[in-house]
Amino acid sequence: MTSPARRRLTAAALAAGGLLLAGCASDAPQDTWQPEGPNAQKIHNLQWPVFAIAGVVGIAVFVTVAIVIIRFRDRGQPIPEQTHGNPALEIGLTILPAIILAGIAVPTVATVFALAETDDTECTINVTGQQWWWEYDYPVAEDGTICGGYTPSNGEAASPIITSGQLVIPTGTKVLLRGTSRDVIHSYWIPALNGKRDMVPGRVHYLRLEADQPGIYAGQCTEFCGLSHANMRMEAVALDEADFQAWLDNELEAYTPPEEGTLAAEGEAVYIQQCARCHQVNGLTDPASGELVVSAPDQYVWSGAAPNLTNLMTRNTFAGATWDLLTESCRDDVWNASPEEFGAKYLEGVTEECLNQVDLREWLRNAPAKKPMYAEPEQLTETDGKYRGMPYLALSEEQIDQLVAYLLERK
Amino acid sequence: MFTNGSKLLIGATVAAVVAAVMYGVTQDGALGTIGLVSAAIVLAFLAGVTIAIRDGNVPPGDEMALATCAAAQRAPGASIWPLAGALGAALVVVGLVVHEALVMVGVAVIIAAVAEWAVQSWSERATADEHVNDEIRERMASPLELPVLAAVGLGLLIFAFSRVMLTLTKSGTVVVFSVVAALVLAVAGIIASRKQLSSGTVAGVCSIAVVAVLASGLVAGVQGPREIEEHETTGDLAASGRCGVEETEADEKASQTVSAKSNVSATVILREDGTLVAVQPGISGESTSLTLPRSNPNNILFRNETPEERRLVVDAGPIADTEETRVLCTALVEEGGVQLLTVVFDKPSFAVEEPMQLTVPGVETAVMPVVVP
Ligand code: HEC
Ligand SMILES: [Cu+2]
Repeated sequence: MTSPARRRLTAAALAAGGLLLAGCASDAPQDTWQPEGPNAQKIHNLQWPVFAIAGVVGIAVFVTVAIVIIRFRDRGQPIPEQTHGNPALEIGLTILPAIILAGIAVPTVATVFALAETDDTECTINVTGQQWWWEYDYPVAEDGTICGGYTPSNGEAASPIITSGQLVIPTGTKVLLRGTSRDVIHSYWIPALNGKRDMVPGRVHYLRLEADQPGIYAGQCTEFCGLSHANMRMEAVALDEADFQAWLDNELEAYTPPEEGTLAAEGEAVYIQQCARCHQVNGLTDPASGELVVSAPDQYVWSGAAPNLTNLMTRNTFAGATWDLLTESCRDDVWNASPEEFGAKYLEGVTEECLNQVDLREWLRNAPAKKPMYAEPEQLTETDGKYRGMPYLALSEEQIDQLVAYLLERK
Repeated sequence: MFTNGSKLLIGATVAAVVAAVMYGVTQDGALGTIGLVSAAIVLAFLAGVTIAIRDGNVPPGDEMALATCAAAQRAPGASIWPLAGALGAALVVVGLVVHEALVMVGVAVIIAAVAEWAVQSWSERATADEHVNDEIRERMASPLELPVLAAVGLGLLIFAFSRVMLTLTKSGTVVVFSVVAALVLAVAGIIASRKQLSSGTVAGVCSIAVVAVLASGLVAGVQGPREIEEHETTGDLAASGRCGVEETEADEKASQTVSAKSNVSATVILREDGTLVAVQPGISGESTSLTLPRSNPNNILFRNETPEERRLVVDAGPIADTEETRVLCTALVEEGGVQLLTVVFDKPSFAVEEPMQLTVPGVETAVMPVVVP
């Protein structure tokens, strides 16, 4: 063998080996072999026997081929007698795979139907995809409750909750996501909780989710959706009943303006001036005019939406769940918490000590530099001058300080 | 004394000199004059050479050369192509007055005529053998001529067809083309049943057909297309504030079924008791209100189960920077009929004063609030 060919072979072998070893990673939050809920478990129950059968068949084929290649290789012996056709063998080799396929088909079809079931839904949540983040809204059902039986503890009537990036669900509850998209096709996938579901503009598709244990389950958009597709991630956060109630109460709490004279109060003014045209903070009124501040993202953003920032600091990632709002140690503390401790830690939200200043400031300083988005004028001709993503806003460092102080109180 | 070739070149020299003088007098700058004078010098030189060698003609005494030299063979025969070129020129002139497209056609005709003429006169004297010359011509021109002619011919036929179809009435088209199709079948049947058929007959039949198509296309083209009515749409209704109970033209023409039915945001049903209920994919049972995402094109189906014709009207909140609310509606839906409406709510419902809702004009009990988070 010539040496370049050998070198190429070595490189290929190394790459294949590396890929194989990557399968052994223990810290792999998107591992499809670690189901954390009944829906993913159903898929798992189907995939491992299929994988096992296919593995056995595969190994048998490779071993046979190897034996034939070595034992019958050309050593100058005469060509053996040629046979044409062997009905028994041919029929056998047709029937055997047919039986295997039929055997696999029965549980597969059963699983497909079981995963399409919607009648047993206990909690309905709407999810809307857009470039490049997910929005969730929790509608108020006919009976006045949210997510199958929750109402605010303070006795007030429920109103819909709206959030983004992190989906919060109660554990042990059959959640049904009703999903659509505002711009192009996206696909929702939390591997630990269920398979993928495309979210298509103009259509409503649904996806069952259920988590057994409190915790964070990571996922990502799996339908190529443009420039920042790789930065369109999402997380499902499961909380037990009491913690979910606490989360819901907090989400529906009325807006508390920052104390007068503080940095955060200055931040509120900057926010109203710079951010409120796209982002909604529910209940925010302009202290100058006393009027409700209502965003109009449909006029500036192509998808017509920007994340609702009312409770930004209750989530712990931002911008398509791509960057952490928590510093590394605080993040590990929450993400690696035991199921018993997880809820309390998650509900603490982002505190001043734990805020990941670096990424948030970089985002505010120049969002398109951090996450590729269409924000330059020449990129906007196809979208009527509307941005796809958040634009560069030329904020001063002082304004950024003020905004961070303001945002830190949004929880 | 003057041979044919030299006459041409002398004429061109004179023309170049005249042009050079005229250019020099009327225009600024010497470049044009230099160019034209240079051209005149080159042309004069070529004219001199042609006179000197007497057009390269073989001297009459040279027997041998007379028999074999291509140049000594008969002069090129009469050609139709200059005529075609003249037609092209005429088209260009007429086109300049009448229509741009005609100029293009004229230019194309001139280019084609020049190319054909060049190939013809060259091939006719390419060798001393007439048959070989014919073959050479075919080999040169056919690969270009055939596809171009086929494309032009097909284009003409299709264009003629389309004119005919645009001119005939809807039902007339059906009749005419049924007859034509039957005729084609009959003629083809006759041709197929014949044991022997001269190619002339087939060519004749085909030519008649082609002429008939082109002629009817011409007549139809002159006549102009039939009147194609514009249908009023439900969008027009909403724009002109006619989402009420009265029947309009748009309602008369409205189809009562919708083909794409699966996975819409909601199917809203007007029940016989005059209430509105919604059926949403993924939500079991019926609901009396809808929660729909903001800034999202929501597809809503409306089904009418009452005996009267009804339409669904959506109040979708204020239009940006105006006092008006955006109202959309379906056409009138008869009993059991279905219509589709695509609605975008671009404000959250807590931010608007007028309620966002679905209503049915004429049925007071039919009100369904829409919540936009
Ligand atoms: C032109 C509209 C627009 C303006 C103005 C704007 N943003 Fe954004 N912002 C967006 C969009 C769109 C996203 C989502 C980007 C993504 O994740 O792909 C976003 C994302 C964010 C996020 C992440 C939210 C989350 O939950 O993931 C934060 C925080 C944010 N913006 C803060 C601000 C602040 C503070 C300002 C004012 C200084 C501001 N934005 C101005 C459009 C805008
Ligand atoms: Cu996506």
